Amino acid sequence: MAFNILVADDSETMRAVIKKTVSMSGVPVGEFHEAANGKEALAVLAETWIDVILSDINMPEMGGMELLKKISEDEELRKIPLIFITTEASDARKEEAQKLGVAGYVKKPFQPETIKAILYEVLEKAYAHRLEENAGEEAGEESDF
Amino acid sequence: MDEDLRRVIFETFSEVFETMFFTFLEPLEETPGREELACGRFVEATISYSGGCTGSFLFYFPWELGKNITVNFLGVDEDEVQDGQVKDTAAETANMAIGGLLGKLDPAGKASLAIPQARVLAEFSPETLLGKSGLCMFNTEFGILWVVGTHA
Repeated sequence: MAFNILVADDSETMRAVIKKTVSMSGVPVGEFHEAANGKEALAVLAETWIDVILSDINMPEMGGMELLKKISEDEELRKIPLIFITTEASDARKEEAQKLGVAGYVKKPFQPETIKAILYEVLEKAYAHRLEENAGEEAGEESDF
Repeated sequence: MDEDLRRVIFETFSEVFETMFFTFLEPLEETPGREELACGRFVEATISYSGGCTGSFLFYFPWELGKNITVNFLGVDEDEVQDGQVKDTAAETANMAIGGLLGKLDPAGKASLAIPQARVLAEFSPETLLGKSGLCMFNTEFGILWVVGTHA
């Protein structure tokens, strides 16, 4: 079963790069959704089933830290893992994010392998059964040949 | 700007350009030739920070440099790149470069980055930047990256 992924970053170009990186990582993606700030991300979350959020911190109107705070205050939304992909990688920021329940932290600039590794780690923790199902489906498809 | 800060800037910017754009930077110490100072199309990106420390940086990308890093960043053909994407890439470059720099200059994370801005300058002469304090120049395959920064 594929995963619906929300990418929140005020840079459209960065969103495109992140989507491309995730697509090439081998993670089964259902749909990508996009948001240019925390407010837009919350609007997407209110209307759409999202399995994992990849978010920047430094965004206008509502930054990633405030988005994470809002998510952590909501009983349903807090079940969705959020990974920060950000330039803000000081120990203080990481600590603040960990307190709010961030699932992963990727520092920009990033290597595609880093996003892949952290995304798989987070998905395995949150949705191990679905990854196993997907691996089973793929094995089934291969056996048809 | 002291030499230590210049070294940290070079290391941090190089990491961004090499990792995200496969482009190498080389610090330029001497005044560039007339050709490099000629008026032309540039992308200007600005970003500032405040809190535990304050600073602001202006980046000037010759259009060819801006276009080529966008091509490498997005993995698209040169003729597919739109002006908006070049501007967006310049702003994101400033964000990554100065975000990385701030991580080194302010490890306690007291300072906050502002949102980067970028605009296209149809006719800009980098000659106007010569002599400015805080000027750093980096040679690339696609022209000189000009950066003017302050940090306190």
